[in-house]
Order: sequence, then structure tokens, then C-alpha cells
Amino acid sequence: MKKSLLIYGAGAIGRGFIPWVFDPKQYDFYYVENNLELKEKLNKHKKFISYRTNEGTYDKRIVEIKECFSPGQEKEIIKNISAVITAIGPRNILSLQKMLSDTNIPIICCENDSSIPNLLSSVIKNPNVVFAIPDVITSNTAPQELLDQDPNSIVTENGVCYIDDRVSFLGGEAKYVSKKELENQWLAKLYIHNTPHCIAAYLGSIVNVTYLHESMQNKFIKNIVSNAMNEMVQMLLKKFSMDKEFVNWYSEKELKRFENKLLFDPIYRVAREPFRKLAPNERLIGAAQLCLSEGIIPENILLGIMSAFAYNNEIDEDSNITYLINSIASKDFLRIIINLNPTEALYEILLNEWEKNMKKIEMLKK
Amino acid sequence: MGEKYEENRDVKKMNNSETLKIALKAAVEAGNTLIEHNKDNLKVSKKESLRDIVTEIDKITERKIIEILKNFNSEITILTEESGISKGKNENLTWVVDALDGTVNYVNNLQYYGVSIALLEKNTPIVGVIFNPITEELYYGAEGIGVFKNQKRITVLDKPFEEGLFTVAFSGKNHDPVNRTEEFLKFGEVNDSSRGCLRTGSAAMNLAYLAEGKFSGCWGKANKNWDISAGILLAKLAGAKIIFSKGNEESNLVSYLAAVPSSWETLYQKVGKTIGL
Repeated sequence: MKKSLLIYGAGAIGRGFIPWVFDPKQYDFYYVENNLELKEKLNKHKKFISYRTNEGTYDKRIVEIKECFSPGQEKEIIKNISAVITAIGPRNILSLQKMLSDTNIPIICCENDSSIPNLLSSVIKNPNVVFAIPDVITSNTAPQELLDQDPNSIVTENGVCYIDDRVSFLGGEAKYVSKKELENQWLAKLYIHNTPHCIAAYLGSIVNVTYLHESMQNKFIKNIVSNAMNEMVQMLLKKFSMDKEFVNWYSEKELKRFENKLLFDPIYRVAREPFRKLAPNERLIGAAQLCLSEGIIPENILLGIMSAFAYNNEIDEDSNITYLINSIASKDFLRIIINLNPTEALYEILLNEWEKNMKKIEMLKK
Repeated sequence: MGEKYEENRDVKKMNNSETLKIALKAAVEAGNTLIEHNKDNLKVSKKESLRDIVTEIDKITERKIIEILKNFNSEITILTEESGISKGKNENLTWVVDALDGTVNYVNNLQYYGVSIALLEKNTPIVGVIFNPITEELYYGAEGIGVFKNQKRITVLDKPFEEGLFTVAFSGKNHDPVNRTEEFLKFGEVNDSSRGCLRTGSAAMNLAYLAEGKFSGCWGKANKNWDISAGILLAKLAGAKIIFSKGNEESNLVSYLAAVPSSWETLYQKVGKTIGL
């Protein structure tokens, strides 16, 4: 009998990557999606195509789906589900509390935030909530020629999905690993991938390009991204004594990914919700703090932080950042909005470098 | 990175995002001034009642705000607590400013006060900012933009009356003394039939906390326009139901009741009549 998967979020990871981890021929796919238009399109065709980049070409997988529900409608099938996969964004995870409370269904959180499984587990009282790391960049759309064939097409990279081995019985093509290995992968993903990835997006938005690979075609941006990545590598080697060969391999791999011209990864997707990325322990402020704690001056990450401050997208959830940065003084912005203490080194260094970095951003605009 | 505003820019070309930015700038700079002086030995003067007081800091802070607002556009009328009205050429737009709402709390080192700045278009608030500089809570919003606290978008937290916490801003002692006892009775009635009712000393902060979901409702009788204009807008944008009634233009008095939808009817039934709504 086929196992059945209930996937929350039919976006980049849920629709683009998960079908390459769990082969739709061996699993029944159910989705929950709050974008009504997408939900209806998926239900109309009951299938979509996921393309996987592979050495300059695409592998193609036709994904048949059983049903795509609006949130709440999945109640009718939830008892018969083998596993739940979440890919809805960390800010939305508690919206699942009501539906998933008091069940023992295995839940795999692909949320790019390692604290999410514990949070969800505690609120729904289910110990079977595990973390997963989709080590991959996945677009939430596809180039026009692929969309012409199927409007629901989506493009992903060829990558590995690391999942906590407590749920290895689910099978598929995932790499089930120990908690320790998952932690190492997470550190690498969080700092070698996430930090430079979002910096590439914020700088890309300043030069007004649409896709991440276009941002990386700008030599100045590529240089900043590469140097920011190196700052993270130095920090990981010092602070976590990570294996040098592993982090070097990881960083080379990531740079190539960012430049992947087949992926069409939208800048707005990677740059969205800048305040989340500017949280104290997150990929920008948190990364810079870790560098400073190891005596590394993260000059390139500082410019990345400033480019996040300058992110201007009227329809972004955090679009208010534009009103704030353009109104209140930099010292007040750092203290009141970014929650940096004036006694901290990062506060001081950001202020000292403020004008210089803003000039760089202004020059980049031109 | 702050924008430099040209003096006397054409009011017609302004939009809420520009005026929101200038209100944010003025509120935060005013807040910084309040913090710089909060250890000073303040000279306190009584105004209309024992608890209606003013300090030099109210005036210094107010002057700073007026300077910023006038530098942005000198045609907009400005109404402030201490200086009164300064009419501009533009009759449609009015800045309404309370440089320090909660002066008694401020002089007693209680952390419940704030700077309140609103922009009114034909008497309707369209931009509002409330800043508590000691807790660094910055509430702001505008029509067409939304309402926020610091980084985050905020909404009221809807809950039934019995589960809500409420707050009141009483009228001045000399205002309508005949009905004073009735006001206190209603305060007690709400206090005893809900999670409680507080008398906090800052109507602006009451409304900001309603917008954020900390309070379920608040009301005030014969409060001043500058105390509540920004808060009324923020609470409305956050989803509160609001009713208010203004006195004559010169008095600047406003009575109002604001609450989350599920608590509204009960609160209105209990206190609406007493405050003349």
C-alpha cells in the first residue's frame, strides 16, 4: 500500500523539491495551500511538473496529486496520513496548531529554522516532530518556456534532503542522518548558505534585477557575496571547529548554486521579510555577532546588513522597514528597531561604517 | 539615510508615507529628549487640576517637534498641548501633538507615557505615531499603509468582555463634576465584571496597547484631542471598533470608546451613556 504525504505549502520546497525526495509513484501527495488561485489550478489539473537542474539541462518529473486543500479542509484525511511535511515559513508554523494537536503523525519541518520542530512539538504535544534540511535552492516559479508547457511548473536544484533519522521508516530518497550530523549540516546551511544567499538577494534588489543569478553576474556583488561567505567560513572554523575540507567544499558548492542560470530564483523570494533575517540570532545580525565574537571583522556581512536595511518592496510583509530607515536616525534605528544595545561592538561598528556603506549602496544603485 | 525634506513642499503632492516618516522622526527625536532629561529636577506647574501638570520638558520637547514639523512643511496647521494652535495656510491638514502624554507618570518615574503625533485631514486622523521612549515601544500607522509596533504589524486581540482587560482616562476633575461619581461607578462596574480595569495616566498609551492586543478596550470622557488622535487611528487600523464625540472646536475635548469587536457591545452598554456617547 502506498504511503500518503500531507504537505503544507505548495511553494518552492513543497511542490518543487519534495517530489524529488519522495517519488510520487510511491507516495500519494496531498497539499494544503492558502493561495486560492494556485490551489484551484492544482486541483484542476491534478498534476504539475517539477524540473530539476542537472549539468546545464533539466530532469523532468510529472507529479500527480490526490488533492490540494485550503487550510482546514484537510481534516477529512488527516487520520489516514503517513506523514506531514511543512514548508510554509517559520512565521506561519503556529497556524497548524489546531489541526495537528494531539496526533502522533510524524511531522517533517522543512522550515529553514532549527527551533521550529521543538516549538511545534511542544504546542501540539507530539514528540514525532523532526527537522529536515533541504540542501537545495528551489525557485517558486519557472522560466516562461516551461510555464508555457504547464503553468504550474517549478524548478529545483539537484540537492540532498537531510532528515532526522528518527523518521527513517518513511523511506524515499532522503538522507536520514543522526542529530549530530544534522547539526553540522544546519550550521553550514545557516551560515555558509543562508547568510551570503540573502546578501546576494538584497544587493540584487539594489541593482534592480529579478533573479538571483542575475545579481551574481554583477562583479561587485559577486565579490561581496564571496567575501561574506569566507567570513562565515572563518567563523565556523574558529567557533565550531568544523572540518576545513567540509566547509570549503560547502562554500564552493554554494557559490556555484547562486550562479545557476537555470534556476530563475526570484530576488523577492530570497529577500522577503528582512526583519526576520535581521533577528538577533539569524543569518545577518546573528552571523555578524558570531564573527565579532571570534575576532573577525565581518566587513562584507556589514554591507549585507545595510543592504537589508535598504530593501524596498512595497508588498513585502516587512515593507515598514523603508519608512523606518528613511525617517529615524541611524543610532535610533539600530537601537529601537534592530534591538542592538549601544554597548555592543556590532552597534558601534555598524554606526561607524554607516556612511561608508551607504555610499557603496548608492554607488551600486547608479 | 534619512531624507532631507524641502521646506514648503506642495501639500497636494504629499502622501501618507511621507507624512508618516516625518511623524516618526519627530516622535523619536522628542522621545530622546524626554530620556535625556528624565533625571533632571523638574519644575512642575499646575494647569487645570492637581493632576493636570506641565514641566519645562513638555515645552522643550514640544518645541523640538514643532521645529521638525514646520521644517517639513510650514503650511500645515499645528495644534499642540502647550502652545495651542498655529494656523497654517493649509486648512485641510492639521498636526495634533502631545509631546508628553502622561506627565504625572513621567515625573514620578513610571514607565507609562509617550509622545503622540497625529496628522488630521479635515478632522480625521490619517497618520499616527506614539512613542514610549523608556520602553522603546514605537507604534505607528497610516491610512493605506497599516499599523505597526517597532518591526511588526499589529492587530487587536479579539476576546469576550469577561476575558478582557480595560482601561479608562477620566475627565478633568472640574469637568462636569455632577457626573463624577457616575464615572467612578462605571469604572468599578467594568473592573468587577472583567479581568479588570486600569486608570493608567496616559490615554495615548492606552489606545496603543489596545491596538497591540494588550487591552480589550478603553474609554475616556472629555479627553483632549492631542491625547487621543494618534491612538484612535492606530486602534482603528488594528481592528478596534471606535465611537467618539467631539466638543466644540475651541475646547478640544473628545469623549470616546474603543474596544475589540467581541467586547464592544458590553462595554458600550456599561459606559456609553455616562460619557455621552
